[in-house]
Amino acid sequence: MIETFKHIQFTLESTPHLLRLGRLFAETVLIQVDRHEYYLTFDKGHLVNLAEGPSRKIPWRFALRTDAEALEKFWQARPEPGFHDIFGLVKIGRGRIDGDILSLVKNLRFFKEVMGLARANEEVAA
Amino acid sequence: MSIEPITGRYLTVTVQGTPRRVYFEEAGQGRPVLCLHTAGADTRQWRHLLNDAEITASNRLIAFDMPWHGKSLPPEGFETEEYLLTTEAYIETVLAVIDGLGLDRPVLAGCSMGGRIALQLAALHGHKFSGFIAIEASDFQPAWYDIDWFHRPDAHGGEMGAALVSANISPYAPNAERWNTLWMFMQSGPGVFRGDLSFYTKDDSLIARLPNIDTSKTPVHIIVGAYDLTCTPEDAKRTADAIPGATLAVMDELGHFPMSEHPDGFRPFFADALARMPVTAAKAA
Repeated sequence: MIETFKHIQFTLESTPHLLRLGRLFAETVLIQVDRHEYYLTFDKGHLVNLAEGPSRKIPWRFALRTDAEALEKFWQARPEPGFHDIFGLVKIGRGRIDGDILSLVKNLRFFKEVMGLARANEEVAA
Repeated sequence: MSIEPITGRYLTVTVQGTPRRVYFEEAGQGRPVLCLHTAGADTRQWRHLLNDAEITASNRLIAFDMPWHGKSLPPEGFETEEYLLTTEAYIETVLAVIDGLGLDRPVLAGCSMGGRIALQLAALHGHKFSGFIAIEASDFQPAWYDIDWFHRPDAHGGEMGAALVSANISPYAPNAERWNTLWMFMQSGPGVFRGDLSFYTKDDSLIARLPNIDTSKTPVHIIVGAYDLTCTPEDAKRTADAIPGATLAVMDELGHFPMSEHPDGFRPFFADALARMPVTAAKAA
């Protein structure tokens, strides 16, 4: 899983429109996959740090908690219904969003498209 | 270069005691089919069907922007008014447009909140229509989000609304049409999407009215996309089951804005729906 987040980090650097959309985003986001924790720290749209948990020392603004199978489906080029969007994961009971949800919503397009950078076919938008 | 067959004009009607200047577009001839857009959007959602020569050869497709939406201005005094759409105001607006355009028992085709109000009209004013095509329509859903997110001084409600509703677009949608669909939400006036959602997520009066719909006089056909998180196929099926004689079609590869997000995928379902509606004599407007 950490390799996938490294791929997202690498791809984000060559995705100018996301760097522009995220230029005011400077937060740490927790992605919890089953029992594993990944802390994604953004600054000015760049994913500047990736840290594996568990950690009680890293503060985060909002969290997406899901499972590995759900994320695998989410990252397919054409996911099945419900797995096609992070709110879809929540709606079908395969994901949960905690923390400052308004911070997520204010940066929703940026965050969804960043998560979608690991899609098999990145032409399919998040 | 190409010029499309769609024409646009303005109609002034009175709704809730005040004049409303309503923008409408139309194309085609024959049976009138009045098309209603979703929350937070406008008539442009219907552009592909209005440009479909085969459909418009025998159907006069008409779509209008609800007041506050698209090219229809909000009423005078809007600057101090909190926009909150109600079932009553929505019904009055649709009926006023039908009267204003002189439409004789049109087919009513509405999507999302337009589908919801189509079913309300089927229950309360069925005799004024010849049939109902209710797209992404169901009896009721409470919000799975906070509608106040979309009207704040510190963020762009349109951009947030577009990012949220992108969850309802199918991954099969062509990318260009996905973004054309989202653009309408990005352009929506401040507080308008929230005001539409207030009606859509809080008024559950339709549930008790569904059994009153008489499909022997006015058929009801419900269409739903499998990728619709807001009105799921389960929601649509529950609604169809509550209307005696209603029919249902599920579109496996479409979402909440089918006529706009994936016109080629939606077309056969809309053509099938039209074929289920009675053929009525058309009167000139």
